[in-house]
Amino acid sequence: MAFTSFNFLIFFPLVLILYWLTPGKYRYITLLIASYFFYINVKPVLALVLFGVSAAAWGFALLMSGTRNEKKRRTYFLVNIIIVLLPLVFFKYFSAINNALLKYLTEIRLNWPLPEMRFILPIGISFYTFMALGYAIDVYNDELKAERNPGIIGLFISFFPLILSGPIERAGNMLPQFRKAQSPDFALIAKGLQLILWGYFMKLVVADRIGIYVTSVYSHVEHHNGTSLLFASMLYPFQLYADLGGYSLIAIGCSNILGYKIIPNFNRPFFAPTMAEFWRRWHMSLITWLTDYVYTPLSFALRKYKVWGIVCALLLTFLLSGIWHGATMTFLMWGLMQGIFLSAEALLNQRKSIIEKKYSLEKKRWYIVAGIVFTFLMFSSSMVFSRAATFHDAMVVYNKIFTEHGPLFVGSPSTMIYLGCGLILLLLKDFLDEFYPHKIKLFDNDNTIVRTMSYSAIIIIILLIGVFDSSQFIYFQF
Amino acid sequence: MQEREIAEKLEASFRKVFNMNTLEIKREMTANDIDKWDSLTHMLLISEIEDTFEIRFKLKELNRMKNVGDMIDLISEKLQ
Repeated sequence: MAFTSFNFLIFFPLVLILYWLTPGKYRYITLLIASYFFYINVKPVLALVLFGVSAAAWGFALLMSGTRNEKKRRTYFLVNIIIVLLPLVFFKYFSAINNALLKYLTEIRLNWPLPEMRFILPIGISFYTFMALGYAIDVYNDELKAERNPGIIGLFISFFPLILSGPIERAGNMLPQFRKAQSPDFALIAKGLQLILWGYFMKLVVADRIGIYVTSVYSHVEHHNGTSLLFASMLYPFQLYADLGGYSLIAIGCSNILGYKIIPNFNRPFFAPTMAEFWRRWHMSLITWLTDYVYTPLSFALRKYKVWGIVCALLLTFLLSGIWHGATMTFLMWGLMQGIFLSAEALLNQRKSIIEKKYSLEKKRWYIVAGIVFTFLMFSSSMVFSRAATFHDAMVVYNKIFTEHGPLFVGSPSTMIYLGCGLILLLLKDFLDEFYPHKIKLFDNDNTIVRTMSYSAIIIIILLIGVFDSSQFIYFQF
Repeated sequence: MQEREIAEKLEASFRKVFNMNTLEIKREMTANDIDKWDSLTHMLLISEIEDTFEIRFKLKELNRMKNVGDMIDLISEKLQ
């Protein structure tokens, strides 16, 4: 049940009514049942995997906190991690490993006919696995006390607004909220509705419209010239931002309406003047998760190598992030590129700050703009690998961008016009929020008329130029 | 080592890592107060502190340091 489906528009208000009708103490049970109903709707049998991961996370955390014997604690911890990770590794990498083995066996002429086995990736499995892992690590590190109530852990891992694509929440933030009996917070509800509306705008007006163009170009890279490929490659980061960012706002908004505060996932990423700053603003819940549970232990272990230890930790963390996105050469390359960009920045940091200080560049407008443009170009160049279907396609894209110019492929003019309108509106809002916060207010203007007009305008725009043929959200595949 | 002495040595480490010769640290200072203090420079700082005071931190202890004051306290705990 995607947020953009008709079913969700019925499901959510129904859950909301049931939720508020339930006595405060038992509201988490209503949410738990609703979350499993939501998930079972995707594919019933896969709810068993979700249940298994939740049960393991709950049980092993209790075992870990029940003993002071360090050896035992460590064993419980390792078994916990393996059990929680096993389904993700199996569903995500079985085909890739199987194909690689098959290819190798064929090469050495050791092959026999085998029935092809295909598994669909249980939707949301990466996201709830990360949340369960985070909980296990926090309990092991004594950052968090183990939760006794299996219902609370079950809800944390299956919470329906977040399960399909995050934000990847932390037990430390969510468990106290789930334990507390929530009562309606009208300011939070209003905020939630606002986020949902903007989320739908981002997804339906911007992401899916850009998607039409990018898909038509990227599905036949050999038929398009470098100009069109360059244009599509520059558009794709915006599509992904509007897609995952829009999804995240709807997820956060739904949680707000239920009374829960959720960490943000994006913070106007395209106004970041450096790559390091960009990654503090893009898919933030994944990056902070990777920072805390992968990068920090790695860089800590390698700290005696100083800046080279950090470079190594960065490369490994982003390679892992790439492999998580997919066990393909394209995603590996994507991860490697992020690691290289960030490492180069870290290595040049000292020298850069000396020059910045000498010419007092940091406050100069042209310098900030140049940084923003350069960061965007680096990121979009890496995204060619994330969007291209195969490594070969990505190489064709690069090659044509530099060698084959010609007229821009337009497709249908309406797509271009709507695409431009949506994107300009989205970037304009981000621009005002970034550089003129509290100066030009539309959605939170004190004047009711301005506020109502702004909301109405967005609703009309969504209804008029939104794409309603219901494509999926990009991150559902991860 | 007295707290004042620790703070002075710590300040020198901060100045070296962040390349800011006039930086003055305060107990309540956090990563938000220094632009260049991010997850990358943090580990350089940790390693610099370890070398300066000849101590070794544990991974778990990193999470305990929420501001400069926590850092000073942990260093003095380790030196005893």
